[in-house]
Amino acid sequence: MTMIQVSDLSLTYPGTRNPAVDGISFEVGQGEIFGFLGPSGAGKSTTQRVLCRLLQHWSGSVTVMDRSLADWGQGYFAHVGVSFELPNHYLQLTARENLKLFANLYPQDVTRSEDLLAVVDLTADADTRVGQFSKGMMQRLSFVRAFQHEPRLVFLDEPTAGLDPVNARRITDHLQTLRADGCTIFLTTHDMHVADLLCDRVAFMVQGRLALIDTPRNLRLAHGRKQVQVEYRTGEGQRQELFDLDGIGGNERFAELLRSEEIETIHTQEATLEDIFIRTTGEQLL
Amino acid sequence: MTSPAISVKDLSFSYGDNLAVDGISFDVAEGEVFGFLGPNGAGKSTTVRLLTGQLTPQAGTAELLGMDIVSERKKAQQEMGISYESTNLYEQLNAVENLNLFARLYKVADFDAMALLERVGLSGREKEHVANYSKGMKQRLMMARALVSRPRLLFLDEPTDGLDPVSTQTIHALIETATREGTAVFLTTHDMVEADKLSDRVAFIHEGRIVALDTPAALKQRFGMRALKAEVRLANGQTELREVALDESGTAQAVHDLFRNEHVLTVHSEEATLEDIFIDITGRGLQG
Amino acid sequence: MIGTLVAKDVKLFFRNRFFATVTGLALVLYLAIYFLLPLQTENSVGVAIHLEDPAASPEFRQRLAEEEDFTLFPSKDEMLAALEDTDDYFVGMSVPAAAAQAVARGESTTLQAFYAPDVPAEAKQVFHELLVFIANAVNPDLLARLAPIEETEFVLGHDLLGQPLSVRDRFLPLLLLAMVMTEVLGLGTLIVREIETGTARALLTGPLRLPTFLAAKIVTGLVLAMGQVVIVVLVTGKIVVSPLLLLTTLFLGSLLIVGMAFFIAAISRNNTSVLAWGTLTLILFLIPALSIMLPGLASGWMELVPSHYFADALHRVLNFQAGWADVARDLSLLAAAGPAALVIGGAVLRRRL
Repeated sequence: MTMIQVSDLSLTYPGTRNPAVDGISFEVGQGEIFGFLGPSGAGKSTTQRVLCRLLQHWSGSVTVMDRSLADWGQGYFAHVGVSFELPNHYLQLTARENLKLFANLYPQDVTRSEDLLAVVDLTADADTRVGQFSKGMMQRLSFVRAFQHEPRLVFLDEPTAGLDPVNARRITDHLQTLRADGCTIFLTTHDMHVADLLCDRVAFMVQGRLALIDTPRNLRLAHGRKQVQVEYRTGEGQRQELFDLDGIGGNERFAELLRSEEIETIHTQEATLEDIFIRTTGEQLL
Repeated sequence: MTSPAISVKDLSFSYGDNLAVDGISFDVAEGEVFGFLGPNGAGKSTTVRLLTGQLTPQAGTAELLGMDIVSERKKAQQEMGISYESTNLYEQLNAVENLNLFARLYKVADFDAMALLERVGLSGREKEHVANYSKGMKQRLMMARALVSRPRLLFLDEPTDGLDPVSTQTIHALIETATREGTAVFLTTHDMVEADKLSDRVAFIHEGRIVALDTPAALKQRFGMRALKAEVRLANGQTELREVALDESGTAQAVHDLFRNEHVLTVHSEEATLEDIFIDITGRGLQG
Repeated sequence: MIGTLVAKDVKLFFRNRFFATVTGLALVLYLAIYFLLPLQTENSVGVAIHLEDPAASPEFRQRLAEEEDFTLFPSKDEMLAALEDTDDYFVGMSVPAAAAQAVARGESTTLQAFYAPDVPAEAKQVFHELLVFIANAVNPDLLARLAPIEETEFVLGHDLLGQPLSVRDRFLPLLLLAMVMTEVLGLGTLIVREIETGTARALLTGPLRLPTFLAAKIVTGLVLAMGQVVIVVLVTGKIVVSPLLLLTTLFLGSLLIVGMAFFIAAISRNNTSVLAWGTLTLILFLIPALSIMLPGLASGWMELVPSHYFADALHRVLNFQAGWADVARDLSLLAAAGPAALVIGGAVLRRRL
C-alpha cells in the first residue's frame, strides 16, 4: 500500500529564480522508513513542508493516505505526527503538561503518552518544567509529542541529533518497533549512520532534484569496491592487506594469511552512505 | 622529553552535593586525538570547563603543556583553541571580522583570514554577516576561529553535531591536519563513528569517573564477538546470511572455504562498535 | 586590546539596526526639537484685574492697558469668568475701592486673589507676591517705597523669575540626560547579547582577562553615551559656556549611566528584560530632569535619584553659567554615585560571566 505518492512536485519561492523543488517524483509505502537526504538548501525541508501542508503554492500532484493533499482538511493532522529539529515546547509547562496540551488538540483519545515517556526515559522528569530540560531531553520530548496520538505517518527531522548513543538507540529501536506496527516514517537526517541503520530506502536530493533513490544496501554495493580488507596482528603491530573479491577463493596469499596470522578483522569494502552522500552532492559545500 | 599536552591528576569538581567529576586522571600526548565519551550528565562538559579554565577544580590538578590551569590560566588559555557545543560567533559581523577580532586578541602576527577561510570552505561568502550562514557554515567558522592562534591544544565539543557529511568531512580534515602539526585534540562527541574514526585513544566517562580508556581498536576487540558474518548469493539468485566463528580451531579453513565455495557479496567480522561499547560500559540498559 | 574590543562593540552597536536607527533619529530629532522650541522666554503669564475704584490712578490704568499680560476687566464677574473659562490667565484679582485707599494710605489691607484651577502651589505663592506688588502699584507713588518686594525671592525650579529661561534652554538638560540614558539600553543589550550568545565565553577562554573585558565595555559605554551629547552641545553652541566643566559633568553622568547599564545587564536574562528594566530606569531617571522643564513637579524625593545631580549640574552649568564651586556638591555626589554603580554593576555582572 502506498502512503505517500508524489509526482512532478515543484515549488519556487516568491522572489527567487531557481525552483527550491524541481519536479520530483517518489513513493513511500506504508510501514516504510524513507530517508530523505541531501545537503542544506537542497530542497529537503521544502518538500517536507509541502507534505506537512505548511506551504501552498506548489505544483504537481501529491497523494497522502489515498487522498489528494489539497483535499485533506485539518483532519490530516489526526493521522500525522511531526517533529522538526528545533524543539518547540512551552518552557513554563512541565513535560506532561506540554503533552497534554497537544493531546487535547486531537479528536481521538491519546493514550500512548506515558508509554512513550518511558521509552525515551523521561518518566522521572515528566513533572519538571521543560525550561530546565537539556537540549537532548527536549529532543526526546519532541519525539513523544510526535507519536503520542498514534499517527500513521510521521515526519522526523534529525531525531537523534545531540543525543548520546544510549538515548539515540532508544529512539532508533522504537522507530523499528513502530515500523513493524505499520507506521510510516519520513526521515530527514544528516547522520548517515542512522539513515543506513533505519531506512528501507533513501533518496538523495541535490539542487531541488532527486539524484538517487534506492535501498541503502544496493547503494552501498553499487558504489563500493569489490575488495576485502584483512587486518591482522604480527609481532610488530597491526598490518592490513587488500584483496580483490573476485577469485579470492584461489588467492594463495589470502589463504596463507588466514592460516598463519592472527586475523583481527575482515571487511568487504562497500561504500558507506557518507561516501555516497559526498560523491553525489559533490562540492555543494556552501 | 617534552611534557604531555594535557596531564590530569585526580581532578574533581562538584556542584553542591552533586559530584560531577570524581577524581579522574589521564594524559594526552602531543598530536594525539583523545576522544572523551559518555552519556549526558556524565561529567564531560564539566571536565572540558575545568580543562579550559572556565571552572576551578576543587581537587586534583590539570596541567596543559606543563602549565597549571589554575595558577597559569591565562598563559594556558593563550595556547588553546576551542570549538563550543553551540555556536557563539558575532552574528552581526562577517567571517573575516570574526576571525580578525580573535587574531588581534591572541596577538597573532601576520594573520591571513582569507587563507584560513579557504581551508574551511567559506571563501566567497566571507563578507556576509554570520547571521545568514547555515548551521554547517557557522560550525566551520567556529572551527576556523579555534584555529586562528595555531593552538597546540584543541578542545572540540560536538564539532559535527547535526552537520551534513560534506561539512563533517571538512572539519575532520582540519582536525587531521592540526594533529599532524603536533596539536593535541580533546574531542567530546556523541557520534561514535566519528570518535572511532578520529581518536587515537578514547576514554569513557560515567558518573564522573573514567570507566575505560584505550585505543578504539583494542576496545572493539575486547568487547566484540569473535565471529564473521557473510552475505552470499545462492545459485537461484537469492542472498543468504552465513556466520563463521573465529578463534576456534579450523577457523582459517572455514573462512577459506567460505570464499572458495560461495559467491560472497559482503563479509564483516563482528567487532563491537564504539556505540555497542558505550551502551555496554555506561551500564544503562535499554529497557525501561 | 581594549581598543580592538571597543571598535568591535561600536561596530556591533551600529549593525544593530534598532539601535543605529534610534541613535541616529534621536540625535536629529532632539536637535530639531531643540531648535524648534521657542527661543523667547515664556514669561507671559496673563493676569486679569478688576479695579473697583474708578478714581484710582488713571495713569496706572493707562499703563496696565498697554501691558500685554495684564488685562483690566470692567466687572468682577467678567474677570472671574475669563479666569475660569480661558487659558489666558493664571490669576485674577479684584481690588475693592476701600482696599485701594488703604494701600494708598500705607495701611495694611486684605486682597483676594483667584487662581486658575491648574496653578501649582508654588506658583500661587509667587503670584501672591506679584499681586501684592501690583496692588501696591495701584498707587504709583508708592512704587519706590515698595521696592523691597523685588527682593522676595521665590525660586521656582531655578530662578524662574529672576532669570527667565527660554523653553529651549530649560529643555536642554532633559534632552542630554535622555540621550545618555538611551545608552543604558544600548550598552545593556550589547552585554546581554554577548552573554546570551556565548561570545563573552569565547573571548574569556582566550588570553583576554575579565577586567579588560569590563573596561572595554565601560569605554564603549562612554563613547556611545558621550559621543551623542558632545555633538549636541557642539551643534547648539552650548559648549562655549564652560567647556571643561560641561565635559566633566557629562563624563561623570555617563559613568553613572554605564554603571546602571552593567547592573541592568547583570539582572537581565535577555534583550526583552533589558528593555523592560532599562525603560523603568529611564523613566525614573528622567523625572528629575522633567522637573527642571516643568518646575511645578519638583519635590524632595527626587534628590534620592542620582540623575537629579546630573540634571541639576547640567542645568546650572548650561543655563546659569555656574562655576566649579556652584556645582561642586552635584559633581561630588555624581563622582560617588557613578563609580559606585560601576562597581556594584560590575560585581553582579562578573558572577554571570
